[in-house]
Amino acid sequence: MAQKSWMYSVLEAVQYEMQQDPAMTWIFELTPPVASTPGKPVINLETEFGRKRVVNTGIDEYWMAATVLGASLAGSKSATYIPYQGALMPFELIQNYASKMRHKTGGVASLPAVWIIEMTGQTPGFAQQHSCYEEDSYYMHIPGVRTVIPSTPYDAKGLMHAALRSPDPVVYLYPAGLRTLTGEVPDEPYEVPLDKAAMRQEGSDLTIVSSGGGMPGVLEAAETLTGEGMSVEVIDLRVLKEMDTETLVNSVAKTKRLLTVDQSYYTLGPGAEVVARVAENVEGARFKRVAFPDAPPPASPEMFTWMRPNAEGIAGAARDLA
Amino acid sequence: MTNEDNAHTLRCDDEGPRSESRRGFLKLAALTGAVVSTTGSRALANGDIGFFAKDLSDEKLINMYRTILRIRWHERTQADQMLTNPDYRGYNHFYAGQEAVATGVCAALRNDGPFDQIDLVYSTHRPSGHAIAKGVDIPKMVAEMDFRATGMNGGYGAEMHISDPSVGFIGADGMVGPGHVTAAGSAFAFRARGSDQVSVAFAGDGTYATPQFHSALNNAKLLDLPFIYVLENNLYHQFAHYSYSCPHKNIADAAAAYGIATEVVDGQDVIQVYNAAKEAVNRARSGGGPTFIEAKTYRYYNHWGAPGAKAGELGAFGYDPLAITSFRPEREVRAWMQRDPVDISRKILVDWGVIDDARAAEIEEEVKAEIASAFEWALSQPLCTPEDGLRHVFAEGTVPARQFG
Repeated sequence: MAQKSWMYSVLEAVQYEMQQDPAMTWIFELTPPVASTPGKPVINLETEFGRKRVVNTGIDEYWMAATVLGASLAGSKSATYIPYQGALMPFELIQNYASKMRHKTGGVASLPAVWIIEMTGQTPGFAQQHSCYEEDSYYMHIPGVRTVIPSTPYDAKGLMHAALRSPDPVVYLYPAGLRTLTGEVPDEPYEVPLDKAAMRQEGSDLTIVSSGGGMPGVLEAAETLTGEGMSVEVIDLRVLKEMDTETLVNSVAKTKRLLTVDQSYYTLGPGAEVVARVAENVEGARFKRVAFPDAPPPASPEMFTWMRPNAEGIAGAARDLA
Repeated sequence: MTNEDNAHTLRCDDEGPRSESRRGFLKLAALTGAVVSTTGSRALANGDIGFFAKDLSDEKLINMYRTILRIRWHERTQADQMLTNPDYRGYNHFYAGQEAVATGVCAALRNDGPFDQIDLVYSTHRPSGHAIAKGVDIPKMVAEMDFRATGMNGGYGAEMHISDPSVGFIGADGMVGPGHVTAAGSAFAFRARGSDQVSVAFAGDGTYATPQFHSALNNAKLLDLPFIYVLENNLYHQFAHYSYSCPHKNIADAAAAYGIATEVVDGQDVIQVYNAAKEAVNRARSGGGPTFIEAKTYRYYNHWGAPGAKAGELGAFGYDPLAITSFRPEREVRAWMQRDPVDISRKILVDWGVIDDARAAEIEEEVKAEIASAFEWALSQPLCTPEDGLRHVFAEGTVPARQFG
């Protein structure tokens, strides 16, 4: 175990899988697959595996997405890193092509493809087009594609191993605002399952459910609320598809209070799905949703930071509910 | 001078030295064998085909020089703000080094008049040069880039989304690709409604790889749209050399494959850029279809912000932490700075007898003062009201707050 940066944790998993599987490929644009962390050797996929397997390409995210799909259909496990500027450019390929491939072939197609897609917008000033407050909703809506969103370096590595080993195509959302996180991450490979939410804190008064970039604010709010004497249960969804309904339902069956927090638009955010699933299965619960308003994120830090859910707003909503 | 040229004159209150020296040049040109057209629309010397810039008035040439300086000093002043003023929050993808491209192109466009008659410019995420050249209000642009409520777009958009349709500046674009097809869409409307307007898409070398590059060009040619694609090849998209994304040395070769008229110009020379743009505009207005101009140029700063730059000094050198493993050799940056668009344009104007060195220096001082006062005004403007973030989602009303549950 060692303290590792987020990207180091991710690339450690990719490096291991590429060492195990000489057919595996990695495609990137602009952001070289390089990471360092104190006391460990630098990881550079491009120099380690060469430019036939690790390709720096032009600005064409559709090509990147389609190429890893094509490679996977040809029997080569393949992954690509799509930066936030192109986060939804591959949508049609994933939504109408990749996602239906297994089903329409009666199960004969095999597609071990992973699309790592940045989800940014945590920083004031990025403005409308460089902020992603919708892609979790869009990708989690698609059948046939597993969509995950880690919030810790530990999960980032474990979910990457699991995604790369999965026979199903995986959209691996990467909340770019969490790139500064470091954490205790084992050196050896391990998997975080592609169908399990994570219980971050147990409690009996209220359940707060969030994911990805929403988690730091939720954990901060939970600490405040715990200090005030509230018993808060915190669930990190971690997997948006297939959503871990059982963990959600069991929690709210106990607390009867559910607060969801999305760092994405209110309408059809992950929280909407969480509330719907719980409401179907738990009698007598109360619900509240905190989300980014249904407005594009403005550039002005005054407007943006006010609109973005934060620990204070989350704690306030929790008090109203409890 | 044609009436058309008068209509294109950039906004400027300059009253620089007028036509004495200019007439001297034309007289000399005539004596040395130039053909001076009596219609007054052209003066072609031997071997000069479409050398439109020689027809420009002194005033217009000085305005172009002034525009180059405005862009340059805007960039330098903003870079210094970023480097020295801890309260300054704005940022830019700096355009310094490329000034002659925006200036030369926009000088060939119609920038004043009713919206349904002026030419439109679609910019990039490196927009300040295009905006200034198209004639936006500089103080308001500076305010917008520092997220001020009285900025050009109310603080909503900032650098990557600055926009002022009143001068035909549709605006900056945080994305690479979609804007080019959209720009061709504006050209489609011009053709459909019988307007002589033209639509210009500025783009970088990274755009070649996008599907939209090919879609925009193919459809512009199929429909013979009044569309001008200005590709500023500054060699790098973000931190990657364009050879990673394009197999051609000249990206214009790709446009030629779509059957489009192409021109490769020295993007550091505003006169060359103007000549190419003027020819393209003439072609577009007369129904001749699209043109692709590739301007070979270079940016003096890194992709984003001012890493590697020093306050008071032009350019950024050395390691950019955002580049991770790939960055530009300092020798390459310094070599390009030897062919500086400010120096080149000044030398041309001095050689042509339009201004002398003393006047050129005066103009530069005037521009520096103008830009300094733009920043002074902008940075004293009010910040935005948080709740206003819920406005302008639709034409009317506000959307509900959701962040408090």
